[in-house]
Amino acid sequence: MIWRILHTLFVIARSTFIENLRDKVLYGILLFAFMFTTFTLFLGSISLGENTYVIRSLGLAGIYLFGLLITIFLATALVFKEIEHKTFYFILSKPVSRWQVVVGKFGGLWASVAASVVGMLAVYLCVVWYQGGGFDVGAMYAVGYQLLELMVIIALSIFFSTYARPLASVVYVVTFLYIGHSLGLLLGVAKDTPVLQSAAMGLYYALPNLEKFNIREVVLHGALPPLEGVAVVALYSVLYAALLLVGASLLLGRREL
Amino acid sequence: MIEVSHISKDIQGCKVVRDVSFVVRPGSVFGFLGQNGAGKTTTMKMLVGLNQPGAGQITIGGKAPTHRSVREKIGFMPETPHYYSHLTGLEFLTFCSALFRVSKNKQECVELLREVGLYDARDVTIANYSKGMKQRLGFAQALVNDPDYVFMDEPLDGLDPIGRLALKKIILGLKAKGTTVCFNSHILFDVEEVCDEIGILHQGALVYAGPVAAFAQGKSLEERFVAKIQSLTPTI
Repeated sequence: MIWRILHTLFVIARSTFIENLRDKVLYGILLFAFMFTTFTLFLGSISLGENTYVIRSLGLAGIYLFGLLITIFLATALVFKEIEHKTFYFILSKPVSRWQVVVGKFGGLWASVAASVVGMLAVYLCVVWYQGGGFDVGAMYAVGYQLLELMVIIALSIFFSTYARPLASVVYVVTFLYIGHSLGLLLGVAKDTPVLQSAAMGLYYALPNLEKFNIREVVLHGALPPLEGVAVVALYSVLYAALLLVGASLLLGRREL
Repeated sequence: MIEVSHISKDIQGCKVVRDVSFVVRPGSVFGFLGQNGAGKTTTMKMLVGLNQPGAGQITIGGKAPTHRSVREKIGFMPETPHYYSHLTGLEFLTFCSALFRVSKNKQECVELLREVGLYDARDVTIANYSKGMKQRLGFAQALVNDPDYVFMDEPLDGLDPIGRLALKKIILGLKAKGTTVCFNSHILFDVEEVCDEIGILHQGALVYAGPVAAFAQGKSLEERFVAKIQSLTPTI
């Protein structure tokens, strides 16, 4: 039974992965990302001796930005488009549950985003190595954390896309992204007012704290996160994504097709 | 046997299907007729378990359509669906097949594509398929699990005469194998040719269910259908 469920999840994830990897728009974004990464070579050359730092800084920021663009582009319309275009009918009239579609789609999408991000990372590593920065281990950590963040963002996008139109989903996700990276700031601002502090604490724990996944600045200065830290962040990401996928499955389960 | 007993369905406060009951005998071909908006697609979606009736019940082989074992035996072709356009026809069919407990291998999928006339286009991405080719692919995926029950929503739509002829041959072939086929269509000439029984839906209610010949009474199905609908809606 468990094997059967895993098989179905794998089949849905695989087709989602293939479908996404053949999307021409994805290649457009990737091409732009590679151009940006190589452009950092030029920016590094005019940075008065800080060329490796500038290349690494801009390169990691570029990978994050383009990874995010790809994710939002692919994920926010995912479920909505399937319902609207009736593609779901093919799958859901077969022995497949709605939650399996949600989880399978999530897995395939995350795999395609991960493949794109890893592709960008490979270009980045070559550029840094070419500039004499050696093998950038820190970048591997930073990108690993980014993939964990994208896991949450994909789950969030799928959650919204079960009931909202793609444009509305984009707005919701970008809002959550902004808030998710500002929760520490929010807590700091509210610390002097007890009522605000309670509300800020509530938001801090309820909303996804995306700043946990941002270690780019840390690795740029040569530090690496401890392994237990990596495990905690990975667990946080998996649990938060799982919670969102449960919510998405429940919403989809109640929806008329 | 497909048994539909007093099903009703409201969508956004509007009664789309009203107290519909009928039976489809095993191995027969049943055609659903009705004007646009009569409730045919809604009924079809409830039959395959995509949506639940608000009242009443549906059983296929004695079990609810949502039951996993029933889903293994059902084939469904939706009306003018979009596909995963970056997959090839063969990839899509293999994907659909892999969702069943007993799946077809690649060669068997190729053979099925040959049967529906898509052999030469098997490795072409679906984005490059014509409407008729997509209809054929939809038909192939509905047959990929060798179902006991096949449900099709407007299967003949968008097909040229040769395509329609090929599809009708396949439907009759299914019937000969003992498969129960249930489909919606506006093309009454084809319905008359392949169906044993029909059900006519009008404004969500079933106004006739029974043999085609008994309904047609020696006239063409289209003539009788129009007369029936006009008698129910004098303004038409």
